[in-house]
Amino acid sequence: MTRPVYIAGSGLLCARGNSPEAVAASLWAGGYEAGKRRVGEREFPYFPLPSTEPDWLKRAEQGVRHVRQQLGPLPADTPLFIASSSLQIGHFEQQGAPFKLPAANAEFSRQIARWMRLDGPCASFSSACISGFSAIEAARSLIASGQIDEAIIVGIELANNVTLAGFAAMELLSRSVCRPFDARRDGLVLGEAVAAIHLSATPAAWRIAGLRTGIDAYSTTGPDPDGGPIANVAVDCLNEANCLPGDIKLIKVQAAGSPGTDLAEANALRQVFGQNLPPLLSFKPALGHTLGASGIAELATLLACLEADQIPATAGYGEADPKIGPIFLVDRASQEVSLGCNNCHIKRAMLNLIGFGGGLACMIIERD
Amino acid sequence: MAYLNPPLNQHFAAEALPAAVRTVLGKPLRRAAALSQLALVGCLASLPESRRHLPTALLWQSTSGPRAETLALLEEVCTGSGEPMPFDFLAIQPAIAAAQIQPFLPGLQSASYFPLDTVGQGQWSLLLNMALNWLDEGRYAQVLCAHLDLTPNTAEAHWLALSHEPLENSPIKLQLSTIKPQITLADTPDFPQHLTDWLQQSDSSPRNLQSPAAYRLALEFTRI
Repeated sequence: MTRPVYIAGSGLLCARGNSPEAVAASLWAGGYEAGKRRVGEREFPYFPLPSTEPDWLKRAEQGVRHVRQQLGPLPADTPLFIASSSLQIGHFEQQGAPFKLPAANAEFSRQIARWMRLDGPCASFSSACISGFSAIEAARSLIASGQIDEAIIVGIELANNVTLAGFAAMELLSRSVCRPFDARRDGLVLGEAVAAIHLSATPAAWRIAGLRTGIDAYSTTGPDPDGGPIANVAVDCLNEANCLPGDIKLIKVQAAGSPGTDLAEANALRQVFGQNLPPLLSFKPALGHTLGASGIAELATLLACLEADQIPATAGYGEADPKIGPIFLVDRASQEVSLGCNNCHIKRAMLNLIGFGGGLACMIIERD
Repeated sequence: MAYLNPPLNQHFAAEALPAAVRTVLGKPLRRAAALSQLALVGCLASLPESRRHLPTALLWQSTSGPRAETLALLEEVCTGSGEPMPFDFLAIQPAIAAAQIQPFLPGLQSASYFPLDTVGQGQWSLLLNMALNWLDEGRYAQVLCAHLDLTPNTAEAHWLALSHEPLENSPIKLQLSTIKPQITLADTPDFPQHLTDWLQQSDSSPRNLQSPAAYRLALEFTRI
């Protein structure tokens, strides 16, 4: 048995707003201001949740309950899939030494399920930046095969010093702003998000036409600059979706402002799309890179933009990188021309994730 | 439907793990965390060289996760100078194991890591359902499913290798079936060990995997 899998709803809380629609509206209005977060002696730009709650666990509970509310009524036994790269490590930091880690490393997921008021099957995914799509892929597989009919996929990534300090130590963070594909790009800007997607076997406005994950083993800290593995995953995804490169009208790129990864992604996209590269869109200059939550948060954001027929500009790009060449990120002034339609009513879009540690993922969503 | 290799159950003293890696590779796995080393040893023990180039997915779960490494990093960041050594940070990222394994398992195309939320409970039901679906789709030739755990003194691994085509030594067939009142095996981390025990019993009647994640159809194991 195999059947289509639809996206029946979403929820989102991130630096840009407290619902997918609010985030889309903020992006359309040009919002991209970041806050700051200090680790050790250095301070970095950072995109925090709009919350003043200082207690890590209460902050997490507020975020999860807020997103749960956006999903509307759900049967209590709806299967839950949770994606995070850091889980509750910020809570342990706040508690201080001696650190009391639970015996089961994803015990926090049980707490999230209780906050969500869901008591059905629960599984956790931690594949760095592609965690969200790994979780969607598992849920989709069970729905497509008829094993379940509905699933909630939650992406959660909340502030912690371990992640910020780890990325800082590897010199992967920008000290200024996220500049996707730009010649001046100098690293990532991290952020927080709690996001959810409701998948269903019942027909809805959007369906997942393709989803593939892959591995780039060039290095544990960065992809093959040639982009070959990233291109392979995108081609597999196009094949699964039974569409041609020309059928894709918009790409939500990874493009986090990383010197190496942005170059690899640009090279990969040129291999797949040739000279007919569709308009590109990066959310990371406005939301930050929300790591394990990014797949879910960016999917929820993109769906809200597509539903509003308003594709926002990507902030931070201004100077072409000679190594990358000209690249076309959506901007509002030219989007009527670039998107080839008057109201940007896009039928099919691709979403690309390139994970820290070699994980790759590509999804194609299609209006049903 | 899928065919299983004989289940693989491995136990090492923690200090013996690097030697186990050197035995299979002929060299150490450079700058690899213990979970990555354990995963590599199991992958290579699960697949003969002739099958390592075939399209492969890896689905692996862990109760402990990189616990010792996480504790060390928390100490380093919270009570130390603020920024850790890069390789200490990499050691708490289980996802990088796949990139470290792929050079030795060139067919490895996809990997997912499932941290577990309850001691004594596995996610074999989810892993095996995903593996069955992917094999049915023809997405991969084989899927490796594993549970890996570390304690300060031991390393433990349980592996099931599934393929669409029957192998010469496949002792078990796996398929979805309506839930029947037959003998069940619990979805515990060491579930493959219970399959091994079953293979050695005289009662060869099929077994169902009994999981708290009760999906619509049961996973039914039949001896070949």
